[in-house]
Amino acid sequence: MRDTIRLARRGLLASAAVLPFAATRPAAAEEGQVVIATWGGDYANLLRGNVDEPILAPEHLTVVQDVGDEDPRMAKMFAQRRLPRGSDDVVCLQAVRAHEANQAGLLEPLDATKVPNLAHVLPNLRTSFYGPHIYSPQVIIYNPDKVPDPPKTFTDLLDAKWKGRVGVGDINYFYVMMAAALSATGDANKVDAPETQALASKLNGNGLRLYPSTDSIGAGVKSGEIDVGLMWLARVIMWQNAGIPVKANFLPEGNVLYLSGMVVPKNAGNKPGAFEYLNAMLEPAAQQAFAAKMGYLPTVDNAKLTGKVGQQLAFPDPAPKLVVPDYDITGKLQGPTSEWWKKNIQHG
Amino acid sequence: MATTGQALRPARAAAPLLAPATLVVAVMLVAPLLLVLRFSLDRYDPTELMIETVTGANYLRFAADPFYRAVLRTTLGVAVACTVLCLLLGVPIGYRLARMRGRWKTACVLATVLPLVVGSTVRAVGWMILFARGGVIDATLRGLTGHGLELMYTTTAVVSGIVSINLPFVILTVQSAIETIDAELEEAAQSLGAAPGRAFWRVVWPLALPGITVAAILCFILAMNAYATPYLLGGPRFQMMAPLLFWEFGTNNNWPFASALALVLMTTTLVLTAAGNLLIPRRYRI
Repeated sequence: MRDTIRLARRGLLASAAVLPFAATRPAAAEEGQVVIATWGGDYANLLRGNVDEPILAPEHLTVVQDVGDEDPRMAKMFAQRRLPRGSDDVVCLQAVRAHEANQAGLLEPLDATKVPNLAHVLPNLRTSFYGPHIYSPQVIIYNPDKVPDPPKTFTDLLDAKWKGRVGVGDINYFYVMMAAALSATGDANKVDAPETQALASKLNGNGLRLYPSTDSIGAGVKSGEIDVGLMWLARVIMWQNAGIPVKANFLPEGNVLYLSGMVVPKNAGNKPGAFEYLNAMLEPAAQQAFAAKMGYLPTVDNAKLTGKVGQQLAFPDPAPKLVVPDYDITGKLQGPTSEWWKKNIQHG
Repeated sequence: MATTGQALRPARAAAPLLAPATLVVAVMLVAPLLLVLRFSLDRYDPTELMIETVTGANYLRFAADPFYRAVLRTTLGVAVACTVLCLLLGVPIGYRLARMRGRWKTACVLATVLPLVVGSTVRAVGWMILFARGGVIDATLRGLTGHGLELMYTTTAVVSGIVSINLPFVILTVQSAIETIDAELEEAAQSLGAAPGRAFWRVVWPLALPGITVAAILCFILAMNAYATPYLLGGPRFQMMAPLLFWEFGTNNNWPFASALALVLMTTTLVLTAAGNLLIPRRYRI
């Protein structure tokens, strides 16, 4: 009896907690509709133009985009975890957040029987719960008009000549910490090592500029506020296409991969539709379109890049060292690293 | 006695009319607050999100950590600065508006209200264009003096942004308070020999004080809870309570601690608002 009351109370609290997200689909959502929680802007438009309309519409699958930021998406999944039916069928997440969600037991297992195109996913990007969509290595960026001798390694950024001229995205803090970990310890997963934290603090002490969004780093380079930074290669290509003077150097100690993809929550209302969506986004044509428009590399082995895109995204020779973090480790370090960053870098 | 009874009867009859509004407030405001209070006593777990218990650990963490206390101090400092600035700017404008007549008054009131038509985020973006490197202020100064002025991500930027948002509220509240004070009272004071400034200070100011207090409280509460402006104009290094609260809620998924932060912010705001009201002489209190 006591347990029943406790469960009822917990159920009531959980129900109340998800009230703000109660604009959920009708209980009997149409089988022909899939809801995808995604970023907005170019990403959402490209999904619509290259996945939703050309591939899924002919299959009579209507796609509804639930546009928003990643953090609220994660919060929503957690809040809805005890509901029999969540509001989203597919959720777009960075790899590190997807592993965090998986560790919390929120995700549906995935394999090639459910999503056939998963068989084409590059071996180093495969997991049992994640549909990797796009990836790009983190590189040093610089303004070639103002920097004739660009920094080559993370520790080069500590040089006094770059004081106040280096910028990173505050929201990309975990990737900055992984780059610091690679430089300080040789292991991108050791974001909580004292050597990593000391190196990041030194960078901060050299007048590091923090930008609230990824786009604002490009604006910082364009306005001359910064000359150097850390960013994904894909953004460099986008900014070059937009006329911003920026070039990239691969870090010899290794380049952490920014990996973004999709997951299916365990309580997704339309799981067959969700699997179909994941399969569609892994189609070569959709992957090639994202490479051409956003500069991200395909995550599958059957989407060859040719022409200008192929040249822009071709790796130099010798091939740079690409590093896929162990997300099972980094997923657990997300919270403590966020806390450390907030107190020592933002407030440092 | 019979008169009092007669007066109470319509009031009693009207009471049921308040029921729907009371119910809405109870359900939409009080219940969520109680839920936030309950969450703040839970324990955070990275995989479980919240573990149901009753602990004051989240509040202790806030009280014991100098970082969080510093963020609260910054928030208070910004809120007080914005309130003082808004009163310094808003009271003279509100007074002038209240005493204006004719078409000019309509035009000036419209000009005051107009910024409220634009959302606070859009206004913050406007400030960003002004304050950014290469923006209007920086480029103008660079052209005139050879030296630019970067205001983005500074306290000045945040305070300017919040003042611009709160000022119309202060002006309109002060204006409506002063409009209820008969201008003839000032004229009477002046006809008895008081200079205009003295007439304002001895006659208008005490009578307008309850309205000015409301304006100050409104401004202080809005500034304490500002989110978009400190986030956009202050940048990642400028820490105020509302953005910090959202970071804990969204990025860290630490709902119990975020709930505790929300209640600390709300309690601080309420206590200081009440304390501020106590500073006003009793007969002028609202």
